[in-house]
Amino acid sequence: MNRWAAALRLVGVGFFIGGAIVLGVGAGLWLDTRLNTKPILVIVGLILGIIVAFYGVYQMLLPLLSNRRNKRSE
Amino acid sequence: MLKRRLAGVPLWVLAIIVLLLLGGVVVGPMGMSLLGVPRPEPELPAEVVFHIAGFLITNSILGAWFTIIVLAGLSFIITRRMKMVPGRLQSAFEFLVGWVYDFCRRVAGEKNGRRFFPVVATIFLFVSFNAWLSLVPGFGSITITNEEGYAVHLLRGANTDINVPLALALVSFLFVEYFGLRSLGIKYLSKFFNLGPFLRGLGQVLKGKVGAGFGAMFSGLIQIFVGVLETLSEFVRILSFTFRLFGNMTAGEILLLSAAFLMPFVFPSVFYGLEMLVGFVQALIFSGLTLVFLTLAVMHHGEAQETHKE
Repeated sequence: MNRWAAALRLVGVGFFIGGAIVLGVGAGLWLDTRLNTKPILVIVGLILGIIVAFYGVYQMLLPLLSNRRNKRSE
Repeated sequence: MLKRRLAGVPLWVLAIIVLLLLGGVVVGPMGMSLLGVPRPEPELPAEVVFHIAGFLITNSILGAWFTIIVLAGLSFIITRRMKMVPGRLQSAFEFLVGWVYDFCRRVAGEKNGRRFFPVVATIFLFVSFNAWLSLVPGFGSITITNEEGYAVHLLRGANTDINVPLALALVSFLFVEYFGLRSLGIKYLSKFFNLGPFLRGLGQVLKGKVGAGFGAMFSGLIQIFVGVLETLSEFVRILSFTFRLFGNMTAGEILLLSAAFLMPFVFPSVFYGLEMLVGFVQALIFSGLTLVFLTLAVMHHGEAQETHKE
């Protein structure tokens, strides 16, 4: 992984967060109207989306974080 | 008197630019709106131009075909008479392709860079040429009458129809999974369905080591959950790829239309330059992120963290 790859992953972060939450809420809404469980699945979807967003961002930022830690320990 | 210059530009050129700018203010709706420029009406769904055997052929499909024809034609013309000492067009394309190739090798390494190059370069060339071609004057303004008798635009930048970014995102997704499966085999799937630690914990419990077994089962459950998160984030990628490209391109088109409507002539040319840059940057981001995800997919499990530490 070099600088380019790191920069590109940073570019991906913002839309990833949005995408995760939109996907979760969208799936929740869709399932809610199909299963008649109005507010529950939207909330579940939202929470799941936020968790996925955080996990994905953590994964994307891991290389940068470990880079910094290495530099500090040198 | 004609020789006077300001920052290297002859004064009469500057005067024409300023006059056009002022003319734009007067003619456009910001000023007195003398000409009554028609108000732009951007439409999100692509318009149907004609049908072939029941398939709707929209103007964005035609735009995509146009891009493909231009790209194929250019590569045919350039490669037909290749010379050792390249001409201007050939050297420009050699530079472009060489640059993308170097980019692949730097991110993915020598061997994988060669394997990924066709996918990455195709996406890059298609997205960037599509964006640039739709900036050519006349691309979006030719209208024809379709079968239902409506006047529709003949061509439209394919990136501004959400189906095309979605298709590109799916292509990128499929290639990521394909290369992952191809190089890691069935092990690649263990990233998504990591049942191993949980089953090992269960085995320990059955053998009688209850304490250690339950601990291992618990961490196994976490591994399974992480696998679910990996799977979901794989699908979120498709969505974020789609909306990034679609949003940026569509916003650019609408920005140009509005700028040309508000203050014609000089003012929109600033945004033209901006949109050329945006087209290039979006192509770079789309292909570059595909490259990064391809690189991550072919890495072994623990290896991902190792390589980051270099």
